[in-house]
Amino acid sequence: MSEAEAYSYDADMRKANRKQAVEGRSVIFKIKRCDGPGKSTRWESFKIPIETGANVISSLNWIAANPVTVEGTKTTPVVWDSSCLEEVCGACTMVINGRVRQSCSCLIDEYAPKDGDVMTLEPMSKFPVIRDLWVDRQRLFSNLTRVKGWVPIDGTYNMGAGPKESHEQQQMRYALSECMSCGCCLEACPQFTKEEDESQWDSSFVGAHAISQARYFNEHETGKQLKDERMDALSGAGGINDCGNAQNCVKVCPKGIPLTESIGAIGRSATMHAIKQFFQGKK
Amino acid sequence: MSENADSMQNRHFLLRRLHSLSGIVPVGVFLIVHLVTNSTIAWGGLNSRVDQEGFGWFDRSIATFQHEVSFINNMPLLLLIEITLWSAIGFHSILGVYYAMSGKGNTGSYKYGGNLRYALQRTTGYFGIFFIFYHVATLRWGWTWLVPGGVEWSHEHASSTFAAALQGSTDGFTAVGFLVACFYFLGVSALVFHFANGLWSAAITWGITVSRPAQKRWGIMCAGLGAGLMFLAWVSVIGFATLDYDQAREVEDQLLGESIHMNVDDAHDAVTLTGHDDIDG
Repeated sequence: MSEAEAYSYDADMRKANRKQAVEGRSVIFKIKRCDGPGKSTRWESFKIPIETGANVISSLNWIAANPVTVEGTKTTPVVWDSSCLEEVCGACTMVINGRVRQSCSCLIDEYAPKDGDVMTLEPMSKFPVIRDLWVDRQRLFSNLTRVKGWVPIDGTYNMGAGPKESHEQQQMRYALSECMSCGCCLEACPQFTKEEDESQWDSSFVGAHAISQARYFNEHETGKQLKDERMDALSGAGGINDCGNAQNCVKVCPKGIPLTESIGAIGRSATMHAIKQFFQGKK
Repeated sequence: MSENADSMQNRHFLLRRLHSLSGIVPVGVFLIVHLVTNSTIAWGGLNSRVDQEGFGWFDRSIATFQHEVSFINNMPLLLLIEITLWSAIGFHSILGVYYAMSGKGNTGSYKYGGNLRYALQRTTGYFGIFFIFYHVATLRWGWTWLVPGGVEWSHEHASSTFAAALQGSTDGFTAVGFLVACFYFLGVSALVFHFANGLWSAAITWGITVSRPAQKRWGIMCAGLGAGLMFLAWVSVIGFATLDYDQAREVEDQLLGESIHMNVDDAHDAVTLTGHDDIDG
């Protein structure tokens, strides 16, 4: 079902790079740094000896132990966010050589095979920077609450077991369930722009991840109880209609989630929702 | 949620979907009709019904186009149709610019086909507004000061005056005229792309195409329609830009002469055929 398109861009080149990676080389890491929220940014470069199988996180660990730039100036260790180190938590997402991806699964051999090659690391541009490569993804989670991305089970009585689900439906929803809220789809989306003012979040574009999660829960036999409320939110300002169909989201999704199919499906639900509201809505 | 917020949400949805719809009906449908009509200058030679003694391929094309223009000009409530189109184009343009400004292109980092089409959809939209305004202002509203050579388009001399407006004079290309012809070529190309790509994305917006294979299939159909319309658009512009003014004028005068002749013979037919009050003017 999920046709993994993740990083398909330049995939052949990266595979070729891995084969010709030079042992014992050093790579320059050019990192966009920022000391704190609202502070100015600057670039700093570090020369790092590459071990077999090194990735961006192991390289950042090396910098933390040796925080000295290529000019020989001692600086502060570079700050980044990470947790699982196996590309399932989404915390270490950053912009590497101009494109967004997880840094833990980013092998140096694929990007910088020769001595003196340069790797560029930047924080995601759509979220406020906390420090260096560490960003605050609160808006991403706030948008999930906007579309009520959950199954309503709390109540005053036991609702019993949920209805049965067909195998096909399970397969479809499994692909959607793989979302780890990393933010790649938002970083690559031309319609999802940085919004500093928190009061504007609820009327700014909600993003592919939230649209896909709304579909995930709309298709759940118990979760569909909140479908009308989800569609109310998604029909409004910043909802499904703000999608510009650039379809970058599905290209950069590390889990190969069919995000553009979710956008089409929620578009259909929004059309049906509007017709239903027009003929039988009470508002 | 307050009542106000609900009505805002409904209005947002309605405006967005009307924006999508207006690009197809009436604007897109009109674009198809308009290009089919205008391309008769290239393929009207096939039309044997306008044939006369001594007529070649291009004479028949000129006559066919003239018949089409006269037919449109005699449509009942034409001004109402025009105002509907102008309003729809204005609505689609204003909202389109507003929506386009909410995004921030990133084709530099993400060079995917879809992303390039996203950027191109916005660029062609901006350029298309500019082109349509020039096109309608000069040829419909009579802003001849914007036409190099200052030719005014006339319903009775549809081919010849349009050719002169594209070429910059009544005897072949001038330098500025050539620029106008190039501007037309780019303008129609931009609008055809904008329509075909818009048709593809509208199917996702409305939820008609959901699965990726469906989006791809519909994309191939939109590309096919776009290629066909692009061909019609190009032969229209090339046809008029290379048209001989004097030849066109001769054919048109001949047709006008017939109308006058019929006017004398059979006043009833002439009214339905020409509908012009001042045939000599």
